[in-house]
Amino acid sequence: MSKNLQLEREQSSLSSFLTTKSFFSQLKSWLLPYTFLAPTLIGVTLFFFIPLVMVFILSFTDLDMTNFGILKWWQPTNWTLDNYVKIFTNRFFPKILKNTLIYVSMTLIFFNVGMALVIALITTNINRRIGFASRLIWLMCRITPVVVYIMMWKALAGPAPMGVLNKHILGPLGIGTGEYLLNTHPWIFVILVNGFIGVSFGMILFSSAIEAIPKDYMIAAKVDGASTWQTIRYVTIPMIKWPLLFVTTYQTLSLLTSFQQILLLTDGGPKLYQTEVWSLTAYHRAFTSYFGNIQWGYGSAWAVILVIIGVTMAIIYLRVFKFGELMQEPKIEQL
Amino acid sequence: MKALKSLLSIILIVILVMSFTAMALAQDTEIVPIKIRTRAKPPMENWRGLNFIVAEKDLNADLEAMGDPRRVKVEIIQDNAGWGEFVTEFVLAYGAGEAHDIWLTGHEYIGTQAEAGRIIALDELVKEFPIFNLVFDTLWDCTEYKGKIWGVPQDAEARPLFWNKSLLKQLGWSNEEITALPVKIEKGEFTLYDMLETAKQAVDKGVVEPGNGFWTRPKNGSDFTAFYYAFGGETIDSATGKLVFDKTAGLKYYQFFYDAVQKYGSMGCLGLGWSEAWHPGVSSEGRVLFWVGGTWQWAEWAEIYLKDLGGETYAWENFGFGLIPAAEKGGKPNTLTHPLAYLVSSQCKHPDLAVALIAKVTNYGPNTRHAVASTHLGILKGQTEYKFYKESRLLRETLYMLDYTTFLPNNPDWGPYSTVTYEALAAVVSGDFTPEEAMDFVLEGLQRELGDKVIIK
Repeated sequence: MSKNLQLEREQSSLSSFLTTKSFFSQLKSWLLPYTFLAPTLIGVTLFFFIPLVMVFILSFTDLDMTNFGILKWWQPTNWTLDNYVKIFTNRFFPKILKNTLIYVSMTLIFFNVGMALVIALITTNINRRIGFASRLIWLMCRITPVVVYIMMWKALAGPAPMGVLNKHILGPLGIGTGEYLLNTHPWIFVILVNGFIGVSFGMILFSSAIEAIPKDYMIAAKVDGASTWQTIRYVTIPMIKWPLLFVTTYQTLSLLTSFQQILLLTDGGPKLYQTEVWSLTAYHRAFTSYFGNIQWGYGSAWAVILVIIGVTMAIIYLRVFKFGELMQEPKIEQL
Repeated sequence: MKALKSLLSIILIVILVMSFTAMALAQDTEIVPIKIRTRAKPPMENWRGLNFIVAEKDLNADLEAMGDPRRVKVEIIQDNAGWGEFVTEFVLAYGAGEAHDIWLTGHEYIGTQAEAGRIIALDELVKEFPIFNLVFDTLWDCTEYKGKIWGVPQDAEARPLFWNKSLLKQLGWSNEEITALPVKIEKGEFTLYDMLETAKQAVDKGVVEPGNGFWTRPKNGSDFTAFYYAFGGETIDSATGKLVFDKTAGLKYYQFFYDAVQKYGSMGCLGLGWSEAWHPGVSSEGRVLFWVGGTWQWAEWAEIYLKDLGGETYAWENFGFGLIPAAEKGGKPNTLTHPLAYLVSSQCKHPDLAVALIAKVTNYGPNTRHAVASTHLGILKGQTEYKFYKESRLLRETLYMLDYTTFLPNNPDWGPYSTVTYEALAAVVSGDFTPEEAMDFVLEGLQRELGDKVIIK
């Protein structure tokens, strides 16, 4: 009896030991991934989510230079929709929206996706070294510091006799009167300046995607008598659909929020709001003003709408490109 | 031997006592850092900050003589930041508890900063330094808000109408006619529309390109307010201190700029970059017949843009200036002064020393150094008789303009008011608005932004 009791006791202590061990190991296995995720989570929370929530709250307040440090912006009693009403009743709202659409769509179609794809197709179909060197040249625009880069464009667009384009190209051809081209054709420059930078991102992704397509497909297409265009249209492009979706989505969002080149190039001018895009307006309202009446609350409202536009567009893209189908698990792993 | 030892001990004790006394005395001297923030275009306006280096020595000598244990150590932060950034920096620094002790800025910011409690009223401190009695009374008015003085004026200027004499000659004007123009303007015989008419003739005859008959500054700024005043506009209601927008004057003001573009070949200036297009356009390239600028720009043109052409001599040969003409015949011409003022932060731990430093730079010597180098007008009574001030021809010849001067209002909401009224002007100039549409935009915008803080007359 006593032996049995002892055995029972031993068994129970052993099982409790086992339970304890499995609890800790379970805890450990549960916590381990979070430990690895923690630095990113903390970083993203501190520097993205909290500021995002703050910007969202600020957009409902009239926090500006006059009441900074006085207004208790975090108190719901100080929240109103006034900023949003101000934006939608602003006389220049349609113009700014139109500018943003022109800027994003033109830069995206002609450069960030269009030109990027063309360059990728050309440079992957020529001598590998020459292709590589050509791509490297296109990268120069991206790696040049933005201030230097804009100074170069300003020198290009400058009035005669200093402006490079006026002096060496337009002048000899008898085109124009040597005017400052940034004043006469600001939009062309805004799109070119951003486009030349934007090309490289898509170019690199498309090149690597094209080079990753097994050669068998190309050979098979050639054997079937497909022309170059047909090979591109029916083999290459369908096979790089995922990078195409990614570049289009990413670059749309990137263009929607980028304004530094426009700020340095035209600052939204030369005429009133002529090249002012949405993100630049948010910047102007939130951070600059000739007499210093900086309106953080109003600027935040412009930024919040931009976030909403961006998220909406991302969802539309994902639907159009059938993101769900692209991301299906490979069938071999489902077996 | 014993005597030698005791002598040595005594000497040692004396040395020790003296060292300790010196150390104790040294510890009594308290170093007070005073942070000064100024904005200056180099090299012309460098004296705004540099004058404080001289003042520091001077003030420390005074403190020592008085037996005050404090010694100031100035830290000057000076650059050419935009006004908006300059104000943001101060406000954010204040929020972080690190506001500069002395802040030199446009007087129109006083309303905002005083309301927010970021600066202190200086009435009592100013009384302790009689040198401040020398400052012109009108300039003190600019630093007054709600019956108190919040700043000490630093400089002043006139914003004249400039003209290119060579282009006027090409248009057929005689030397006598050109020389007589400032007087004609002062008497109200040459009006704003006369100026536009002359500009149109210059465009029609090919003397200047279309758009270059008459220019204002390329971006928002104080000059436009002078034109609004010329058409009879008011900006502030003296009884309530509220901002005012006058509909009749406003419509005339927008009509003038609309006409300037549509009928008189002018205003091809908005949106231009200062250094790459505006300054060269009016100065070295000589492409503009009339333009509104500031006296301080005279130094900029001489030092930078006309340097290769002969500097100030070239400017005197080729440019003339007068008041901004009256809107109607016989009317009063005007100009606008935008004095900068030294403000003292409410976070400053030794405001008495800050004001003492300001008193040191508010004197004939330091102020004239700045005035002459930057072609700003003096701020002190009798400064015109000061030897070194008298030697500047521009300062002598523009001084009469102070009799016709106007100011910006000291109101916390001047920023939004100015933005709305300027946006309407820029839209009129770009052809987006008619004068009537501009008025609708302004009335709607002012009411939306400021509600009952603005009186529409």
